[in-house]
Amino acid sequence: MRLFWVFFHKEVIEAARSYKWIWVPAVFLLLGVMQPVMMYYLPDILRASGELPPEAAALITTPPPEEIIASTLSQFSTIGLLVLVLSAMNIVAGERTSGTTEMILSRSSSVLTMMTAKWAATMSLLLLSFALGYAGAVYYTYQLIGPLEWGTLAGAGAVYAVWLAWIVTLLLPLGAVFRGPAAAFLSLGIAAALTLLASLLPSQLPWSPGRLSAIATAMLTGESSPTFAPALAAVLLIILSTVAASVLLRRRPLSAQA
Amino acid sequence: MTNSLLYIRNLSKSIGSITPVKGISFELERGSCTALLGPNGAGKTTTLRMLAGLLSPSGGEIQYEGGGKSGRDWQKRIGYLPQYPKFYGWMTGMEYLIFSAKLSGLSGAQARKRSLEVLDTVGLREAAKRRIAGYSGGMKQRLGIAQSLVHEPSLIMLDEPVSALDPIGRREVMDLLSRLRGEVTILFSTHVLHDAEEVCDRMVVMVDGRIAEQGSWTELREKYRQPVLLLEVEPAAREEAWLRTLPGMPFVESADIRSRTAALAVRDLDQARNALMREMSDSRIRFQRIEAGTSSLEDMFMKVVGG
Repeated sequence: MRLFWVFFHKEVIEAARSYKWIWVPAVFLLLGVMQPVMMYYLPDILRASGELPPEAAALITTPPPEEIIASTLSQFSTIGLLVLVLSAMNIVAGERTSGTTEMILSRSSSVLTMMTAKWAATMSLLLLSFALGYAGAVYYTYQLIGPLEWGTLAGAGAVYAVWLAWIVTLLLPLGAVFRGPAAAFLSLGIAAALTLLASLLPSQLPWSPGRLSAIATAMLTGESSPTFAPALAAVLLIILSTVAASVLLRRRPLSAQA
Repeated sequence: MTNSLLYIRNLSKSIGSITPVKGISFELERGSCTALLGPNGAGKTTTLRMLAGLLSPSGGEIQYEGGGKSGRDWQKRIGYLPQYPKFYGWMTGMEYLIFSAKLSGLSGAQARKRSLEVLDTVGLREAAKRRIAGYSGGMKQRLGIAQSLVHEPSLIMLDEPVSALDPIGRREVMDLLSRLRGEVTILFSTHVLHDAEEVCDRMVVMVDGRIAEQGSWTELREKYRQPVLLLEVEPAAREEAWLRTLPGMPFVESADIRSRTAALAVRDLDQARNALMREMSDSRIRFQRIEAGTSSLEDMFMKVVGG
């Protein structure tokens, strides 16, 4: 356990020295706040541009608060996820390709501890960023558009966070095999493929972790769908990824001799 | 119980279809300094990585004195410096040492105290608070040695500690190693014989994954001491042609003939000297220089490595 904190502390400082604690949350906050503000002012902006016939302008109304939160989540799924993956892609791959693992692993044979600490540090950044962005979106939606139900919000947020978490966790085993950019590309590719598959074949793949983002959105708009199986699958995938990453790194701790 | 710290028996490693280490055995005495010598690609790095627990051996055993057969507990008592040590450039030297010490199980206060001590040992006290990204090659190498010492190991293993350094950096590291001698058991690999001779008392020569020769310097010097005649002639076709006939002479055991010089290893120096003088005056060879001496370790190394 002491070793875990030593590694965790190192990861947190490393992220701080590369300003990850500032720019990743900032991106999420910006994305989160922009959506309700844009939606609120959109009718005014369109009217002010003056080229819209009044009949068409009347059709454009501010959507209900739940829908705004749902569209914020879809913003997080594209730009937010990309930023998270890019910020974390070198967390394992970088150590392996730069060769810093050689001296570290000659000291402590516990690759699993190291990997768990890396995972925990990445998750801390993820949760902080997402919480900040989500809170920003909720606050502005509440202020500008209308009230929201706290229970639904919390549930949808939690489900969505699990969705982000399993995709980012994929970077650990991929980083133990590939270089950083390749690992990032592959994890985004796997996420996109699973999400697409889950939406194409919803009845065949009720447990697919790729459905979690869709479930979160559905929860907000009041539809309910079984969350347990995909969430469990995501958690298992996270555990499996972390263990696999340690095994892979233990087996090949050194990149080809420089 | 002998005074050995580490036994290696029949150690081998295969990676895919190649076998960089093909069954080697040696032992390290406590407090000794041993050089693992060999040309590039002899398997030195692979051997050290196995000893450091980074690679698992394909066969044979590594046994540390007092420890079991596995090296796990032993990792705490070993300091290892890779051939190309890579640090986190965003850490300061001090932070890296504290991080390393904590990984080896030292408490926070101990880690700080030991880090300051080893920074003094390697002469990096002034640079302790600077980021490693700004260190020179020699400083990084010394920091690497510092991290190998920080947890007070009984054995330090250094992989080519001076190969990548300029002459000044090399001097710094060699002086540091000489100072460490006796305090800690040292095993270091190099392909430069001179470096090994300077700080070590024993050596193990590896060639192509096998041990070609091992022993203390005095033993090896004794074993390979051989009288040698060095000869240099005028640059002329007749002299050069004559040089090339020398390996056929009965008193020559082995010969190294270049265009104008010859190094002849002989059995009996006096007899060879007379025979050579006679030969030269008969053929009226215009020599520039003749020298009688004994073979150096360099010759021994070339002989062992060359097969």
